[in-house]
Amino acid sequence: MALPKRIVKETERLISEPVPGISAVPHEDNLRYFDVEIHGPSGSPYEGKQVAIDAWHLVVRTVINIDFTGARTIPNRRLPDGSTKIRFLTKIYHPNVDKLGRICLDVLKNNWSPALQIRTILLSIQALLGAPNPDDPLAADVAKSWKDDENKAITTAKEWTKNFASPAPK
Amino acid sequence: MRLTTFEPAADGNARYCCAFGLRTVVLNMNFTNSGEPPAKKRRFFADPDTCVSHESTASNIQNEPRHAKHLEPSRPSEVPTPNSAPSVISADNHPAPQPPPSTSSDAAVTFDQDAFQSLVGDTVSTDVLAIIRAKCGDSLERALNMYFDGTWKNFQVRSHPLMRSTTLHPSTPAPTTGLPSQNDRPTRTDTSNNNLDIRYIGAFGAEGWATRSGTNLIKHGDVVKIERQKAQQTPQRLRLAASGKSDVIVRFTDNKGTEIGRLAKDAANWISSLIDQNVCRFEATCVYAPERLRTNDTVFLQLRCYLKMSIFQGTEFDLSDNRPTGFFEERESAEERNLRLRQVGIVRLFQEINLLPTKSNTASHQNARQGLLDAAELAEKKSKQNQSNGRDTPGSQSDDAEEGEELEQDQLDALYRKAQSFDFSTPEAEPAPTFAMSLRPYQKQSLYWMLAKEKDEKNEARETSMHPLWEEYTWPLKDVDDKELPQIEGQPNFYVNPYSGEMSLDFPYQEQHCLGGILADEMGLGKTIQMLSLIHSHKSEVVAHQSKKPANTLPRTLQRSSSSYYTASAPKTTLVIAPMSLLAQWQSEAENASKEGTLKSIVYYGNDKMDNLQALCRESNLTSAPDVIITSYGVVLSEYSHINSRLGSRESHRGLFSLNFFRIILDEAHTIKNRQSKTAKACYELSAEHRWVLTGTPIVNRLEDLFSLVRFLRVEPWNNFSFWRTFITAPFESKDFMRALDVVQTVLEPLVMRRTKDMKTPNGEPLVMLPPKSVEIVDVELSQAERAVYDYVFAKAKRTFSANIEKGTVMKAYTTIFAQILRLRQTCCHPMLVRNQDIVAEEELAGAEADAAAGLSDDMDLQSLIEQFTAATGDEKDANAFGAHVLEQIRDEAVNECPICSEEPMIEQTVTGCWHSACKKCLQDYMKHHTDRHEIPRCFNCRKPLNSRDIFQVVRHDDDTSAFQSSPKISLQRLGVNESSSKVVSLMAHLRVLRREHPRMKSVVFSQFTSFMSLIEPALTKANMKFLRLDGTISQKTRAAILKEFAEGDKFTILLLSLRAGGVGLNLTQAKRVYMMDPWWSFAIEAQAIDRVHRMGQDAEVKVYRFICKDSVEERMLKVQDRKKFIATSLGMMTDEEKRLQRIEDIKDLLS
Repeated sequence: MALPKRIVKETERLISEPVPGISAVPHEDNLRYFDVEIHGPSGSPYEGKQVAIDAWHLVVRTVINIDFTGARTIPNRRLPDGSTKIRFLTKIYHPNVDKLGRICLDVLKNNWSPALQIRTILLSIQALLGAPNPDDPLAADVAKSWKDDENKAITTAKEWTKNFASPAPK
Repeated sequence: MRLTTFEPAADGNARYCCAFGLRTVVLNMNFTNSGEPPAKKRRFFADPDTCVSHESTASNIQNEPRHAKHLEPSRPSEVPTPNSAPSVISADNHPAPQPPPSTSSDAAVTFDQDAFQSLVGDTVSTDVLAIIRAKCGDSLERALNMYFDGTWKNFQVRSHPLMRSTTLHPSTPAPTTGLPSQNDRPTRTDTSNNNLDIRYIGAFGAEGWATRSGTNLIKHGDVVKIERQKAQQTPQRLRLAASGKSDVIVRFTDNKGTEIGRLAKDAANWISSLIDQNVCRFEATCVYAPERLRTNDTVFLQLRCYLKMSIFQGTEFDLSDNRPTGFFEERESAEERNLRLRQVGIVRLFQEINLLPTKSNTASHQNARQGLLDAAELAEKKSKQNQSNGRDTPGSQSDDAEEGEELEQDQLDALYRKAQSFDFSTPEAEPAPTFAMSLRPYQKQSLYWMLAKEKDEKNEARETSMHPLWEEYTWPLKDVDDKELPQIEGQPNFYVNPYSGEMSLDFPYQEQHCLGGILADEMGLGKTIQMLSLIHSHKSEVVAHQSKKPANTLPRTLQRSSSSYYTASAPKTTLVIAPMSLLAQWQSEAENASKEGTLKSIVYYGNDKMDNLQALCRESNLTSAPDVIITSYGVVLSEYSHINSRLGSRESHRGLFSLNFFRIILDEAHTIKNRQSKTAKACYELSAEHRWVLTGTPIVNRLEDLFSLVRFLRVEPWNNFSFWRTFITAPFESKDFMRALDVVQTVLEPLVMRRTKDMKTPNGEPLVMLPPKSVEIVDVELSQAERAVYDYVFAKAKRTFSANIEKGTVMKAYTTIFAQILRLRQTCCHPMLVRNQDIVAEEELAGAEADAAAGLSDDMDLQSLIEQFTAATGDEKDANAFGAHVLEQIRDEAVNECPICSEEPMIEQTVTGCWHSACKKCLQDYMKHHTDRHEIPRCFNCRKPLNSRDIFQVVRHDDDTSAFQSSPKISLQRLGVNESSSKVVSLMAHLRVLRREHPRMKSVVFSQFTSFMSLIEPALTKANMKFLRLDGTISQKTRAAILKEFAEGDKFTILLLSLRAGGVGLNLTQAKRVYMMDPWWSFAIEAQAIDRVHRMGQDAEVKVYRFICKDSVEERMLKVQDRKKFIATSLGMMTDEEKRLQRIEDIKDLLS
């Protein structure tokens, strides 16, 4: 199946006008898979200590499912109607991300819309890193510790970042 | 000759047996053992190919001894079998000289034959002469005595038994030829003269039956005489003849003249007519007869046949002249009947003696002969029928009645293939310098051909070709007994027309009287241009003279007027007759093709103003006479009827029929394919030096179509209908297709020039380089409302069909079913079409009643479905109620990329109620995705809930350049609410794109439903697109105006054309796009319509769009079309029954 025009366009744009702090590279063997690296936003527990601007790299493997799950069952449908499947590969201490790396984010679920692009989704995730939302948790224990003792939780998060995330390139 | 096998003398002769097939041998054995006559004489006929060897071996055996006995100087050369010399047709053995057809005598006879005859005071048959001469020892005196006292008869009588007795027992079957040659040699020299009375052509076996009883009446080897009973010209016989039954009794008598028996009727039928008509004479030898002969016993005879040389001289047949139009002779005249009998006789004879033509134009002669006989039989039956039917006058036949069977498609194909053997090496001719256009090579070739035809230049290749109806035969060199036959130097062959029974010694050339022909190039190869080049390039001598010395040309006028006293010569003028719709085109092409001032053309409408055409065109008015007069078939017809109504007085007539034109050209000449139509008759009556016929289809569907053209062209002899009927229609109707088609081909070959578009030059280049053409099928999706209507109609049609299938009445209800399918097709175009028809309503009513009775009543009726559709159309008000600023906002929106599929620009931009745009399809699918999950669809952008009624399609009017607004217009159209049917919307979308890209392009929109065209019109008007309309209801004059407007305007123009009205002739090369709104049953019709645009003169790529509704009867029609294409080319030989089944299959496919 030929790659939909949309994927091609989005990929081109991710490369030609990269979003600061985010890099998304399509997989060679499947152009629908993107290897994404997000720099933790500054001020967040996911930001690197040594270099102010520097951030730890969070590696996220994203499956942009603009492929139409439906396409296989309903022929002649050419519309993206499935949402982006996305999860963290790097172990991360975050109330909205579970142990398996799954993300709780409205735009990936109820609020998904075909108008959302990879770029916008990734920006949302970046924002989520900067503003954890323990009130709508996915990882209950993390959310609990976040609520009980936010500083401790942030410290844990920083530790995890240090241990599991790779350093940002200079 | 084959019957020599009967000779008992041959039994035990090994050589003899070898020559025959096994069966013959066995029969011979039976025969000799039992002494009984064989049951069927046919059995004894050897295979034709073994025949030759048989003849030579068998005859060698008996020949030699016979000659050995003939010690006296006989003249076998002159009389091949002198022994039976006088036994011919004269009924009684009258010693008086038989009336010899030729009075010439043998000059080389040593005793002076001339002197002898002058003394006798009468001409003496060569046979008698031979005997006398043989006995007289060169003494004239003795000869005279012998002649007058009758002693010569004794010799004659005596010679037979003598000779035969020896042949009975051929003791020495020695290798032959050596001995008799002594006798032969001197005679051979004698025969160098051309004065044979009769010439041997062959022998055959025949059966007779005895009329007497007795012993030893006749035995093997006896010579018997074959006689007709001439003496009895009794009133009774005459009566017989008058009643159509003629007596055909042929008797055979012994040498004393006593009747022994008669020939079997089968043979006697034709032998009698040959004898009666002095064509042949027969000599017979008994091959077998029972020793004790009883009445009715079968006697086998061998008949030797001699052609009388007289038949080669005086035979004149007036068959070829053009008899008056009363083709329907109720009964044949006596003369015609005789001719026919004779023709049949000759053909039968040749069949019996197995004489094959050495040269002829048709391939399979065995069949051919049989076909001829069958045809004659048919004629016989017909004449009998007509006699019983009484007078069936031609007048009683309706004017349009056409006769003749229709040609099957594949037969037609075969015929055309044959007629298309266009020779690419034909020389080319350059048109006259006054001709302003350049011709393509193949057009120059046809110009050469046409010039040659008009000037009647003898084409070398053609000259040597034999007349198609004749066959060449070689005189046999040896007779059945292998005796050398006299030959005439320079006359090794004779020629027979097996169709008429004519015979000739001279080579029958195929003559070409017709100074014109049929230009049958396929549509679009420029027939008009080729004719115009001819008009320029060949002018009559008068005109040529006149240009040199403008002196008076009066003498020539006188000379010419001989053709007809009331037609004046119009030596400058070519008359073009074309269908009304093409008159204007002809004139404009005539002008375009000529350098300025070199060609004067007028269109003649036959009205009063132009009344005096005669004065205008006649020779005395040469300088101002028009070169070309263009008129329509209608004008010709009306003038013709006018003259007829004045009872044929042509004197006062000053119109078309008062002139003898230099040339007449019939364009689209299949108009006159029915020879009985008045138009055709009118055209026949026009007089001209040269006649040309232009048509892409010289044969539309029956062979008679061609006849009419041939008749117009006055091609001898084919323009005689009875001739045509005998040689073409009759064989065709008696299913001898190949023969009929072969003859037609020979008729066509010298007359027709035909090239097709797909022909390739020897270099492999196509004949005409047309710009490319692409055909694209546009899928149209029916809207929900349309689908509902469609489903309703479909279900109904299907029900009717299956009900009929069950009852087995499909063929009966065929039309009803067909009508319902028609309605289905119309639904695909526009549901309104269905409503518009009153018949439908009635049928619906009846159908509904029936359904109600059957408990099949529908939930919804058609009417309400259509109302739903209409409610859903044309509602634009509230969409346009939005403020202009909203529209501008949408228009000026920088991003024109679909947020969903990233298409840029959006395909059919659609706006939500919250003013967010996406492709129509993307948005619809997105919403459907949600509604399918029972979710409320929300805006993909702002997540506002979406209401399906608040979706609007953006209609941009930026394609309309004629609107002089600073910014392009935009309007909104509520989605799911169409301007018209889906098809029309789809068409409009295509046209809009086209107008944006090519603001001046012209296009043609074809539909077969004029009512549909009426529904397309408002859509075009709304889109501010200029359109013209042409259908069958439009008068000729406005038609021309419309075509002119279409051709000359330089705006974006659409021509709405009905498939039927636009099918022929039109030249629409100004258009570059074709939109086929609905499929026809066979693609050929559509292709023809497309060819209006994609034809010679087209200079740009042509794109064709065929609008086909998805999942509908139309899609299935495409499949039927494909299959039809296949069937038409591979096997058209289907019976009617098969065709019907095929049709049912088609319908099944359509409704499945």
